[in-house]
Amino acid sequence: MPDPLLSLIIAGFLAGLGAALFWPQRGLIPNWQKTRQLTNRVLGEDAIKHIHKCDMDGRRPTVESIAGALHISTNEAATLLDSLQTQNLLFMSKGEIHLTPAGRDTAMHIIRAHRLWERYLAEETGYAEADWHGQAEHFEHHLTPTQLTALEAQLNYPTHDPHGDPIPTATGELVEHGGQPLTTLPVDKPGQIVHLEDEPEVVYAQLVAEGLHIGMPIRVTEITPQRVRFWANGDEHVLAPIVAGNISVLPLPETTPIVPDSSDSLANLHPGETAEVLSISPACRGAERRRFLDLGILPGTRIIAEMRSPSGDPTAYIIRGATIALRRTQAEYIKIKRVQHAAS
Amino acid sequence: MTTYTPRMNELNGQGETAVRETDILQTAETLRWQIGQNFHEQLMEDIYTEAARIADRAVTRAGEKPRFDMDRTIDHIVTSRVWGFPLMVLLFTVVFWLTISGANVPSGWLSYIFLDTLHPLLKEGATAIGMPWWLSGLLIDGMYLATAWVVSVMLPPMAIFFPLFTLLEDFGYLPRVAFNLDNIFRKSGAHGKQALSMMMGFGCNAAGVVATRVIDSPRERLIAIITNNFALCNGRWPTQILIASLFIGGLVPAYLAGFVSAMAVVGIAVLGVFLSFAVSWGLSRSILKGEVSTFSLELPPYRPPRIWQTIYTSVIDRTMIVLWRAITFALPAGAVIWLSANVMIGGVSIAEHLINLLNPLGLLIGLNGVILVAYIVAIPANEIVIPTVLMLTVLVTGATGVGAGAGVMFEMDGSAVRHLLDAGGWTLLTAVNLMLFSLIHNPCSTTIYTIYKETGSKKWTLIATMLPVVMGFIVTFLVAQVWRLLAG
Repeated sequence: MPDPLLSLIIAGFLAGLGAALFWPQRGLIPNWQKTRQLTNRVLGEDAIKHIHKCDMDGRRPTVESIAGALHISTNEAATLLDSLQTQNLLFMSKGEIHLTPAGRDTAMHIIRAHRLWERYLAEETGYAEADWHGQAEHFEHHLTPTQLTALEAQLNYPTHDPHGDPIPTATGELVEHGGQPLTTLPVDKPGQIVHLEDEPEVVYAQLVAEGLHIGMPIRVTEITPQRVRFWANGDEHVLAPIVAGNISVLPLPETTPIVPDSSDSLANLHPGETAEVLSISPACRGAERRRFLDLGILPGTRIIAEMRSPSGDPTAYIIRGATIALRRTQAEYIKIKRVQHAAS
Repeated sequence: MTTYTPRMNELNGQGETAVRETDILQTAETLRWQIGQNFHEQLMEDIYTEAARIADRAVTRAGEKPRFDMDRTIDHIVTSRVWGFPLMVLLFTVVFWLTISGANVPSGWLSYIFLDTLHPLLKEGATAIGMPWWLSGLLIDGMYLATAWVVSVMLPPMAIFFPLFTLLEDFGYLPRVAFNLDNIFRKSGAHGKQALSMMMGFGCNAAGVVATRVIDSPRERLIAIITNNFALCNGRWPTQILIASLFIGGLVPAYLAGFVSAMAVVGIAVLGVFLSFAVSWGLSRSILKGEVSTFSLELPPYRPPRIWQTIYTSVIDRTMIVLWRAITFALPAGAVIWLSANVMIGGVSIAEHLINLLNPLGLLIGLNGVILVAYIVAIPANEIVIPTVLMLTVLVTGATGVGAGAGVMFEMDGSAVRHLLDAGGWTLLTAVNLMLFSLIHNPCSTTIYTIYKETGSKKWTLIATMLPVVMGFIVTFLVAQVWRLLAG
């Protein structure tokens, strides 16, 4: 019989070794795969994407900015630019880096792949919002134009990615989202969120945590240098101007809002109370939203909260004569108007 | 369009139509960007809303009927904070008690008919018609015996459990159980209805896997399928009960033995439930992260159960299908068991070769070679693990006066079993680890096949099969080492 202590130590060692090798993202093997995937092609494509982004933002791409964006040394960046130049994807003029038409096509393809993939993740998988960008950063280098056309058809020819960025067409046309930063929206003027900037990640994570989503109606109530206070889809939010600046909005004509400020959500309806649905939050998408529509949860539908599970969640609601249990996180998506009811 | 335009030019000589068509396309292209980002959703929602509006206007209902009072009353009792959980526990205790105590009698009859009466008769018949020993051994001792064993152990509990369960389902109570328990399942990333497939898994994992069909969210359904194996199925209860009463019950005074061994078995079942929560939690946060997840749970109106129809359909749909699959797997398994004990290589049977090969690994994880070999040949059905272990132990120890010959499975009285197993080198650790391994190992082949049928995916079938075995090895290994360290 092997000594138990020795066996335990060996097993612990093997487990540690296995973890060091295979741990997702940090293990040696995933890391090695990642570096192997960081071929010159991928680096080149990332560099082109960066140059294109700079062009769009009206900034000047430099060797340093490329090195910074790609996490490589300036020497490596310079070599990379050389090779891109020989491939006729970019040219230098008066010390400035410019994309050739071929380079622009490549940039469009990468952006199209990135945004279509994000749309796919949002609509047809269960990945959380925070995972979309990272995954798309990987897949944008591995999708061929033919695959993209198929994906586009499968997704019903979407025009925008889930952050509101327009998806370039197969012929490389790109329209801007046309929104203005939230901070420039006049106080009390109704608008609609059309774009949430997904970089830098920290800021984006904050927007996601606030539950903001494109398509939401929005109205600013206060702008000071310290904070921006606004109502979005019936809830009040307060953000730092630098964060709020990453939200782009389109002004809407002055009409009665579909979701008035401080609207309640279905989650706050107590058993025995009745409400009428105002809207389903734009943050609820894909399969989840279709399920709501299938159940007949539509603007104007009457819902009675019937009973709550003894464990506190979910709650059963009477919807169009059927008793349906929904979890709290789902009920929060549904904005309601309370109704005084005389005997259901 | 580009190939089309020149022809239009030729036809009308002016090219006006062509110009207009490109205009249309251009306008469409521009409008496409203006109609908004969620126009498909918007359109769909508007169609639904309009349909609802038309229906509400056109259909007159004979007064808004309030929900059936009886339903409300029942619902408020079975989901109340005070009565909800106790009622649930009570109902399921009754169901399990009826199953376990009710199955003993018919199981005894079947075992008497198939094993004690028919088996010797068949053997005699075979000898009478001059069948060679190896043929009668393969057919009767191997294939017939294994199948008869599976049928007599498996059929009665399933024939009682499934109809009872189906009655509860038919009445409408089960969705309320899912409603009551959903919060716990939600926390581990699963669906409340997993409570039902898990419960069904206590009867039979293959049936439990089929029962996951009620879960309509892809991610939660896969979780329920993969973790169903942690519900201790009825094929494994006899193993647990036998080992617990022999080894664990033996540790305490006789008047406590029954209670303590019963608690040990319940403890294993509870550990299984706990593991299925833990594994659900892990799966939903790792490999199943990308699967689509939605939740909705309909609580249908109650209705009086249709007793005869329920019994008929549950016997035909559930019991017979599962039994048939088990038989098709038990037949070849019986042949393999008999052959492995009777085909000799270099004077030693294949089974013994295998046992010797696996013994070091088995001892390391606190089991032994015999148990590992038994678990390999008994992949088709957990019911035959104990008979196979006994047969192989006799083969290895060369014990005389017990058993029915090489490759013939048998069962016997408790004290004799204990005696034989002691001779096979079993300790309390072996018993505890066998109980653990019986809970945490691969599903039987019937279940594996069912998982494949239900998921249609080799990947998920492989994961559902391998995950528990690997976990089983890890758990028994750790228990064995810690046990030995503490025991000195």
